[in-house]
Amino acid sequence: MSNVLRSVARWYSLPVVLAAWELMAHSGMISHRLMPDLWTIASAFWAALIQGDVIYHASFSVWRGLVGFGLAAIAGVALGAAMARSRWFEAIFEPVFSFGYPIPKIALFPIFIFIFGLGHMSKIALVFLESLYPITVGTYYGIKSVERIYIWNAQAMGAKPRQIFFRVLIPASLPYIASGLRIAVHVALIVVIILEMIGDSTGLGYFVVYAGASYEYARSFAGILAIVIVGFTIDRVAVALRNRLVFWQREIALR
Amino acid sequence: MRRFQSLIAPVIVLALWEATADAGLLPDYLVAPSKIAAVFTRMVMTGELWPHLLGSLKRAYGGFALGLLFGMTFGLLAGASRAVGNFYDPLISLTYPVPKIAILPILMVWFGLGDVSKIAVIMTSVFFPVFINAYAGARGVNKIFIWSAQSMGASPLTVFWRVVLPAAMPHILAGARNGLALSFIVLFASELVGAKAGLGYLIGVAEDSGRFDLMYVAIIAIGLAGFVSDRILIRVRRWLLAGQTLGRQEFGV
Repeated sequence: MSNVLRSVARWYSLPVVLAAWELMAHSGMISHRLMPDLWTIASAFWAALIQGDVIYHASFSVWRGLVGFGLAAIAGVALGAAMARSRWFEAIFEPVFSFGYPIPKIALFPIFIFIFGLGHMSKIALVFLESLYPITVGTYYGIKSVERIYIWNAQAMGAKPRQIFFRVLIPASLPYIASGLRIAVHVALIVVIILEMIGDSTGLGYFVVYAGASYEYARSFAGILAIVIVGFTIDRVAVALRNRLVFWQREIALR
Repeated sequence: MRRFQSLIAPVIVLALWEATADAGLLPDYLVAPSKIAAVFTRMVMTGELWPHLLGSLKRAYGGFALGLLFGMTFGLLAGASRAVGNFYDPLISLTYPVPKIAILPILMVWFGLGDVSKIAVIMTSVFFPVFINAYAGARGVNKIFIWSAQSMGASPLTVFWRVVLPAAMPHILAGARNGLALSFIVLFASELVGAKAGLGYLIGVAEDSGRFDLMYVAIIAIGLAGFVSDRILIRVRRWLLAGQTLGRQEFGV
């Protein structure tokens, strides 16, 4: 009984908010077109799912986001590690990253279109660039913060540089790298959706804008629902992977 | 010496860019840096740039301030009180990983093409990182501090203002920094999708009409605005956290 009560206390706000939406939609204060009720949104989502539209556009968004993010993960960890371990790399790249961090790189999109064209390449390149920053910075600080004594110990016991890198530096800085990666996942998704909104004819961002532009707002909401599902799933997978990888330190996050 | 070293990479890139552009080796869309600089100063002098810059800053700062205010208030309340926390927990954990820009087309229908829809979408984007951090900060306050304040007779309000808020401050500011970066990204997108002024709008118009020099000026202006805003935030943080030891090891401080 107390279990039931506790889960009610924990989850009651979701039905409350949905009911409030339903009431607003039916109250007639806002045009039904602009604020469709939940049933209309659900059936629009179902229709788009059956037609295959949602899956088609979602696969583009996910693919672009994950490729850009994956490349940034590889390059970012390598670059961050090189910056932390080599004075030369640090001198050249540290300013690029500390000054470039707060600059909205997305403003370069028009130039990227000219260089890489309107297709996948320009989007993947920009997702790569935006996700590269948090990952590189996270890795850089993670490796910088590794205790000297661990490295000395490994050296004293005859570890080779390669072994020190993979067995000492990377595991010790993994929490930092993981938090950089988590920020980058969010950024990658945001950037993908924005780029599809402003310059493409595929992807969920395009789907939402196009439905809105053709006055099919229920369809727009269906696209937003699809983005919610994709974003939530990717985040859960990322947290699960992180907790497996950095098993000695749990993510302090919401349930 | 370090300052000198840090200039090596940008100077080499700029010099190469200038040389190849002057020699006519680059396509039209890669305008020579000297030409961009000339157009930039001209636009600053004639005042052509200011209305766009001010329009963009109004939206970015308006959305940022509102998102910060709401995120901080509700995040702290949710962290300090179990009941409020229970209300927000499922809602936030469901919507946090979602790119909030997705609701822009709907907001533009609801609030029109003017400033309100843009400020609303920026506010929503800033709200979440601030909320999450304020929430974690308020929940992570050492219970002993709260107990000692209470045993010395502090009222709940005093505990909130003098213990919870200062202890959560480094977290809130870290969230605010993420939020600030996001607000400029979202600003760019919202101005490109539909606006009549602003730097994002200027980029779009310049691109469409093939005025690449103008496009670079707007890109540089939006980058500078983001950069300077971040520096101001770091200054504010240093001032707010003077004497505190927590949360100072972050990048760029």
